[in-house]
Amino acid sequence: MTVEHPALALRGLAKRFDGTIAVAGVDLDVPAGSFYGLLGPNGAGKTTTLSMAVGLLRPDAGSAWVLGHDVWQDPVAAKRLLGVMPDGVRLFDRLTGAELLAYNGLLRGMDPAVVDQRAAELLDVLALGDAGRTLVVDYSAGMKKKIGLACALLHGPRVLVLDEPFEAVDPVSAALIRDILTRYAAGGGTVVFSSHVMEVVERLCSHVAILAGGTIKRVGTIDEVRGGRSLEQVFVEVVGGRTATGEELSWLSQ
Amino acid sequence: MALPVSVDATPAAPVRTVSARHFARLKLRVMGNNFRGQGWRIALFVGGALLGLWFAASGFFLFAAPGLAGNGEYAVLIAAAGGGLLVLGWLFLPLVFFGVDETLDPARFALLPLPRRTLVTGLFVAALISVPVLAVLIASFGLVLTSWSLGGWSAGLVAVVGVLAGLLLCVAASRAVTSAFASMLRSRRVRDLAAVLLAVTAALLGPLQVFGLAALREADWDRLAGVATVIGWTPLGAPWTVGIDVAQGRVWAAPVKLLITVVTLGALLAWWSRSIESAMVGAASAGKAPVRRGVTGGAVAQLFPRVATWAGRDQFGALVAREARYWWRDARRRANLITIAVVGIFVPVLINVTGGDFAFEDGAGFTAAASDSSPVVVTISMLLVGVLAAVTLANQFGFDGSAYAANVVAGVPGRVELRARMTAFSLYVLPMLGVVAVVLSFLLSRPEWIGLTIGGLVATYGAGLAVNSLISVLGAYSLPETSNPFAMNSGAGLAKGLLTLLAMLASVVAAVPMVVAAALLGDAWLWLALPVGAAYGLGAALLGAYLAGDVLDRRQPELLATVTPRR
Repeated sequence: MTVEHPALALRGLAKRFDGTIAVAGVDLDVPAGSFYGLLGPNGAGKTTTLSMAVGLLRPDAGSAWVLGHDVWQDPVAAKRLLGVMPDGVRLFDRLTGAELLAYNGLLRGMDPAVVDQRAAELLDVLALGDAGRTLVVDYSAGMKKKIGLACALLHGPRVLVLDEPFEAVDPVSAALIRDILTRYAAGGGTVVFSSHVMEVVERLCSHVAILAGGTIKRVGTIDEVRGGRSLEQVFVEVVGGRTATGEELSWLSQ
Repeated sequence: MALPVSVDATPAAPVRTVSARHFARLKLRVMGNNFRGQGWRIALFVGGALLGLWFAASGFFLFAAPGLAGNGEYAVLIAAAGGGLLVLGWLFLPLVFFGVDETLDPARFALLPLPRRTLVTGLFVAALISVPVLAVLIASFGLVLTSWSLGGWSAGLVAVVGVLAGLLLCVAASRAVTSAFASMLRSRRVRDLAAVLLAVTAALLGPLQVFGLAALREADWDRLAGVATVIGWTPLGAPWTVGIDVAQGRVWAAPVKLLITVVTLGALLAWWSRSIESAMVGAASAGKAPVRRGVTGGAVAQLFPRVATWAGRDQFGALVAREARYWWRDARRRANLITIAVVGIFVPVLINVTGGDFAFEDGAGFTAAASDSSPVVVTISMLLVGVLAAVTLANQFGFDGSAYAANVVAGVPGRVELRARMTAFSLYVLPMLGVVAVVLSFLLSRPEWIGLTIGGLVATYGAGLAVNSLISVLGAYSLPETSNPFAMNSGAGLAKGLLTLLAMLASVVAAVPMVVAAALLGDAWLWLALPVGAAYGLGAALLGAYLAGDVLDRRQPELLATVTPRR
């Protein structure tokens, strides 16, 4: 590529639901090849922002580009480069893991032979091969996350957008997901993921943005954002959480 | 800061007991919150309420007719037959067409420390708060009027008790039966058995109606009154006839009939309470997944079911394969397929064997009736079947719910999406329609009409697909994510009804040329119907996918938002 586009660029993204502002103008540049963590408390607008960035939710204002392709003007080109794992969204869970992968692969216009080969590898690496003919609806929460990740990875996207990939995942699966994502980033891919687990973000990310109340509060490389302190301290300070419990809830200690 | 937390050895007794009143208020609150800031929902609700009132008023005057005329001769007949039909309607219509309003999902109460009796009465009271219940209440007060005018205030008072008991019976019956079927359909072991049972139960409606209409044609009113007296002694008719019994001097019958009603009601509630329990534990008791055959072939080969092996291994093929699997694996969709099969058989039989000659004063039975059927009547009945089959797709994206996000993320073109969905559905429906056409032709002993029936079916089905794909894009609504395939969101029942009506009307209009051709072209049409109908249906479906696909391309995120259940 002659001109270096950011992997993901958001400009002035905004969304309101029934009068409440969910996201109030988010600007973000995710450099290609970075491992980007989007941090924020519950209800900060992480899911809304990412949904607008990948074409699942139409923004009220603003735009999003994936490697220079406008997600809302030229969705086909942008979506081809994207791998997405949304949160709080069902999979087509009346399929088995292998069927689901085949479905997603063919939906992306992949060659059936390649789909077969990659699906087998992914199921094997993610330790989902044993599930055999079990339907995804009967998977555990961690297994659902893993098959969701496999669906997002299958077509070899240039940019991977994951919403809460470590939520409800046991430590063994989390380590596995971390390894896969690290390898993917090392191979030149860009990962954007949302989380509120500081430890994972601190360990993995090259860049961090802290989102609260629908706007970006801090953004930069992880060292810039931390400024010599721990990420958790910065996060709590930015978000403005309370740390002590006083006289309230006294009935808890009867 | 560590907070010392201790747990009481004996949990304190609740300060206030939970009563049915709380459930009623909860239901009203949930209904109210559903309306908040959603003008169109309020409009739908008002429209549905007006429709309900209209039915209520006509029912009222029907039931009140003997009283208004001051003639008690056929009062028992009207009460027993009308009331019995009401109960049967409450029993079967939710299963076959409408579903039940599950605003208060029993599963949500699983963690609360409620005795089962409180829960069942609470849910029962909550179920009573609905427009249809109000409509039936109004209608059945026609019986009170009849009893009062025939037998004075004491008969009227007894009728009030009877009518209220009958209403409770209706609601309890519908809840118990849908809940029982839902838990059967959920269980992997008896799922297929339940499907067959459901089909057979619903299929019984057809012959029953045929029988009923044939009996009416006999027009032996005294014999019918005798039958009605017998029905009056079954739970179907007992609550509705007590008032008239008192009015006509059979005072001793009233307590017995009320006892029959109460015992039935108790039995139904007990049955319901048992299946509620299984609904509350939900997936946990769904039984072990059957050990499936070993994995054969690659992932792609596994995706394609046998009915879809012919499809290309591409975007279109993947969509067809996934849809085909879903029509079979998703309990909600399966229930719809079963409905089509049942309705497909009994509607045309009804129209052609009985309805077609209803105007003729000719009581010579089926063969004479068959000879009265004409190509126009046959085409009209086929039109109804084709339209009913296609209307299943009116909320096809609602079946998927938020899972549709996968297709949005992959950027599936709208036209491919809709064509694939039509194709997959047709894989199941077209063979069924073929069977319907052949069976009907032979039932009418007119095998030469096979072309006519198939042509009419395919044409209307294709036109229906076109209309419904557009409606599915523009008028989608979310379905609750419960394990009950019959569950509807509150308010969605009305939305569904109106949308279905709109879709059916539009499909009928689109298919009218077939009826006109049948009327105008005479015998030549018998030969032309098949090729012309097939071409018409295919063309309409493709055109529909083309136009609606364009709309879908522009509305994908909005569609996803409307089919995602609010949590």
